[in-house]
Parts: sequence; C-alpha cells; structure tokens
Amino acid sequence: MTHNPKPVTIIMIEDDEGHARLIEKNIRRAGVNNEIVPFTNGTSALDHLFGADGSGAVSAGRQLLILLDLNLPDMTGVDILGKIKSNEHLKRSPVVVLTTTDDSREIQRCYDLGANVYITKPVNYEGFANAIRQLGLFFSVIQIPETN
Amino acid sequence: MPISSKLFVRSTLALLAVGLVALLAIIGTVIYLGEQSQVYFNEVLEAREGRTAATDLRNALRLAETSQRGYIITSNETYLESFSLARDVLPERYEGLKTVLQAYPEADGPVAELKQTIDSKIAEMEQTIALEQSGRHDEAVEIIRTDRGKDLMDNAITFLTAVIRAADERQAAGVNQQRANAEWLRWVSIIGGVLIVAVVGGSALTVWRYTQELVAARDEVSVLNAELEERVRLRTADLTLANDEIQRFAYIVTHDLRAPLVNIMGFTSELEESVKSVRALLERETADDDPVAQQARIAATEDLPEAIGFIRSSTRKMDGLINAILKLSREGRRTLKAERVDVNKLVAAGAASIAHQLGEAGGEVKLDVNLPIISTDKMSLEQVVGNLLDNAVKYRAKERPLRLHVRGSVAPGQMIVLEIEDNGRGIADQDRERVFELFRRSGVQDQSGEGIGLAFVRTVVRNLGGDITMNSVFGQGTTFRITLPRTLQLGSTSA
Repeated sequence: MTHNPKPVTIIMIEDDEGHARLIEKNIRRAGVNNEIVPFTNGTSALDHLFGADGSGAVSAGRQLLILLDLNLPDMTGVDILGKIKSNEHLKRSPVVVLTTTDDSREIQRCYDLGANVYITKPVNYEGFANAIRQLGLFFSVIQIPETN
Repeated sequence: MPISSKLFVRSTLALLAVGLVALLAIIGTVIYLGEQSQVYFNEVLEAREGRTAATDLRNALRLAETSQRGYIITSNETYLESFSLARDVLPERYEGLKTVLQAYPEADGPVAELKQTIDSKIAEMEQTIALEQSGRHDEAVEIIRTDRGKDLMDNAITFLTAVIRAADERQAAGVNQQRANAEWLRWVSIIGGVLIVAVVGGSALTVWRYTQELVAARDEVSVLNAELEERVRLRTADLTLANDEIQRFAYIVTHDLRAPLVNIMGFTSELEESVKSVRALLERETADDDPVAQQARIAATEDLPEAIGFIRSSTRKMDGLINAILKLSREGRRTLKAERVDVNKLVAAGAASIAHQLGEAGGEVKLDVNLPIISTDKMSLEQVVGNLLDNAVKYRAKERPLRLHVRGSVAPGQMIVLEIEDNGRGIADQDRERVFELFRRSGVQDQSGEGIGLAFVRTVVRNLGGDITMNSVFGQGTTFRITLPRTLQLGSTSA
C-alpha cells in the first residue's frame, strides 16, 4: 500500500476487545503498518463512517478497508454491511467479514449484500493467527479504491 | 331423546311385529267371517228349499182337493184331469219335502204322520170321485159332509204352514247373521287398517328420527374431526417452533461460547510466547545466585508452562464440547434428503472401514442383513452405522477377539430393524439410559472422546423417524437395535 498517495485506514468493528487485540497483533506481525481504528459497537462505527448527518459524505476521499464482526451488542453486522454497500460514498470500500458464525445461510446473505471476503474465525489459535496473518498479507497487496 | 341403535332396532322390530300380528288378525278374521258367510248362505239356501218344497206340496194338495170338489159339484170331467195331475205329483212333492227335512231328526215323526194324512186324504178323494163316477152323487156328498176330508186337509195344511214359517224364520235369521257378519268384517278391516297405518307411521317416524340423529351425529363427528386436525396442526406447529428455537438456542450459545474461547486460546499462546522470551533471558543469567532470580527462573521454566498447559488442555476440552453441541445442533438443522438406500451395501461399506482395525485385533464381522431397499437419508444412516461400528471396535473387550454380528429384519408397520451385536465390554445396567445422553460415558475411561457418539446417533435415528434401543450384559456384550421406517416421511421429522 506504500504506493498509494493516501494511507489506507483499517476500520475494525469488533465488540470483543480481546479478539480486536489479537487481530491487530497478527496483522502487525504480517508487516501491515496502516492505521487501525477500532470500534466495539455498531453505533459508534456508523457515526464514524457516515458522520453526524448519516449521509456518508464524511468518508468521501478516504481510503477505507473495513473488518466487520457480525455479532455486535447493539446491532447485527449484517445491517452495517447493508448500509455500507448501499451508500454511494462507501460502497466501493472492501468489507471483510470476520466472525465466528459459519452458518451457510449467513455467509450467502453477506455475499448477497456485497461483502468482499467472508472469513470464519478458527477457535484454534494457531489457525486463527495464521488466518489473520494471511489476511494481513492480502491487505498489503490489494488496491483499495478511494471513496467519493 | 336420542335413539340408540339398539333401541332403534328393538322399536322397529316391535312395530314390525305389531304390524304383522294386526295383518294376521285381519286375514284370520276375514277367513273366519267368509266361512261363516258360507255357512249362513247354505242355511238360507236350505231354508228356501224347504219352503219351496212345503209350498209345492201344499199347493198340490189344495189343487187336488179343489179339483175333487169341483168335479163332485159339477160332474165336469175336466176337473178330473187337474185332480189326477195333482195326485200324481203328490208323492214326488212329498219325497222332496222329506229329503229337505231329513236334516232335522225331530221332524221325522210329523213327516211320517203327514204321509199317512196325505194317503188318507187321497184315498178319501178317490173314494168320492169313484162314487160320483158311478152316479152315486149323494153318497159322495155325504162323505164330504162328514168333514173327515177337511180335517185331514187342515192337519196337512197346518203342518206345512208351520214348516213354511220355520223356513221363513230361519231365512230371516240367516240374513241377519249375514248382515252382522258383514258389520264385523267392516269393523275388523277398519281397526286393522288403522293399526297398520299407525304401525307404518310409527316405523317411518322412528326411521326418520333415527336418520336425523345419524345425520346430526355425523355432522358432529366431522366438526370434531376438523377441530382435531386443527389442534394437531397447531400442536405440530408449536412443536416445530419449539424445536427450531432449541436448535437456534444451541447454535447461538455455541457461537457465543466460542468467542471467549478464541481469546483464552489466543492470549494463552501469546503468554506462552512471552514466557519463552522471559525464560531465555533468565537462563542466560545462570551464574546469579540471587534467590529472587532463582524463583523467577522456577516460575518461568516450571510453574508458568504447567499453568499454561492446563489452561490449554481445558480450553481444548471445552472447545471439543462446544463443537459436539454444534454438531448435534447442525444435524438437527440439516435438511434430510430421502433417497433409495441399499442397507446391505451400506453396512458392508461400514464394516469394510473398520476391517483394518479389526484385522489388527483379530476380530471378525458377520453380516446377516438381507434387507429390502429403503428410502431414507443415506448420509444419516451412514453416520449411525459408522458410529456404532466404531464404538464396537473402541469398546471391545481386551481379553477376547471382537465378534460383530449385524442382522436385519423386516418389522410390521412398514419398519425395518437393524441389530448390531458385539461381544465387547458391555454396559452396566445403571448406565443404560446415560450412554444416550450428551457428554456421558460409561465404564473404564480409557478411550478419548467427548461422549457424544450415542447422543448423536439417537438424534439422527429419531430425525429419520426411527428409534434406537439397547440390550447389554456387562462384561459380555451389547446389542443395539435400530428401528427405521421403510420410507422417510419428510416434513414431519426434519426441522
């Protein structure tokens, strides 16, 4: 991502702070040094992404990559995904759903709504760390579009 | 008042019996009255014959006497013709009357007397006529004047008149009886008719009411049926809902339990990594005899790794349990697919997959399945058979080679039975039901496992619409008996 003029910000919406910490650690271990902005609930994340007026204009010009957990205390991640993918400023931002749910209907629904990647968190830590590190490697090579 | 079918049959039979009796009574009375009419008619005929005979005889006598007198008065020969005519018919007429009166023995005497009277009269008349013919007119008149002839004639006439009157009386009585007879017949017919109409009406009424009640009862039954169906439908919907809820609950719980486990596992690993670096540092400073450093070294090399080891093994166990619940819940949510399954092949394949383990331990499997093709979810049945065969291998008795016997049979009610018998270690009586419960295990715990195999098997078998039972003698062996429908009914068993 070094060749991007503006640095990509990783928005991490994850209610479990332990998970957030483990994800962050392993992304860093993969050599990704971008700013990670964590949110522990849906409301504050939506405020950040869509601004006070809820239009999403606040995100115009940002380069965002969103890591999304589906089980949030105040709303479901599926709703957030739907909102992001139907907003004209945010719809091009890649969304990686990273959650414990492996229900096939849920997975289909997320892809239907426009999720770019769906990853199930492995309980086994080696698997988990491995997955996140590979995700970090993936982040380091993909092109992130600028929102408009 | 409701009519029971028994009462209905009884009352209908009773009415029919009454109707039959009435009809028989009418027929009997009519026949009897007809006979009576015949009798009366014959009597009237007889009376008429008697009357005619008596009248004829009287007339003949009178004609004879009138002719005799006429001849004697006028000496005209034409009177003699009438006389001889009358005299000649007299015996015949007498015989006629006698025949008629033969039926009355009490008339025998008077009839015999009449014969004499008639004979005397004829003799008297012939005597006077003979005197007249011989010119002795005065003598003839003299004989008549004695009134002997008149007396004889009066006797005869009196008797005949009595006979005629008696005949008239009998005729009148016969007619009266006949009339009474007709009256009787009329009344019997009227009463019988009324009775039959009443019986028919009563029967019709009973039949009508009974039919009405049957119709009402049928309507009631159909209403109840509809209600019952509705209730069953509601109950089924409730059960389906409850089942869905349980499945959902299990699913959510397992997922929510998994999230903290990820942390525990993750940070344990992080901790382990950190301890490694601390240990490396402490081990580098071996020369130091500082007791604090010594303690730190013990903590880093023994206590911490031990603690981490326990945290890891417990977490792994917990992960196993959660995965077990998840597996069960997923099995409940899996959509079953009915297809044609050859149980013989399926069991043979299951046996083949344990052949290697059996070969090592010197065991053998005997297959005696011979079941027809059934329609069921193949994957589920494979899991069931596989689990049971694996269990048999896992929990075999160490002191003897494993003997497995799989038997199939067809059971009534479109069911099949599959029995898997082993000579393994067996299950103690008190554990019979426990072994089917989640996370419960039986006997010596020398095999790894979470204790979900049989719970899973039972869930799957019940999802297929069947059941599984078990017979076991501790130390001798166990027989699992699976009952399955020959055709899987989708919709009723899967959630």
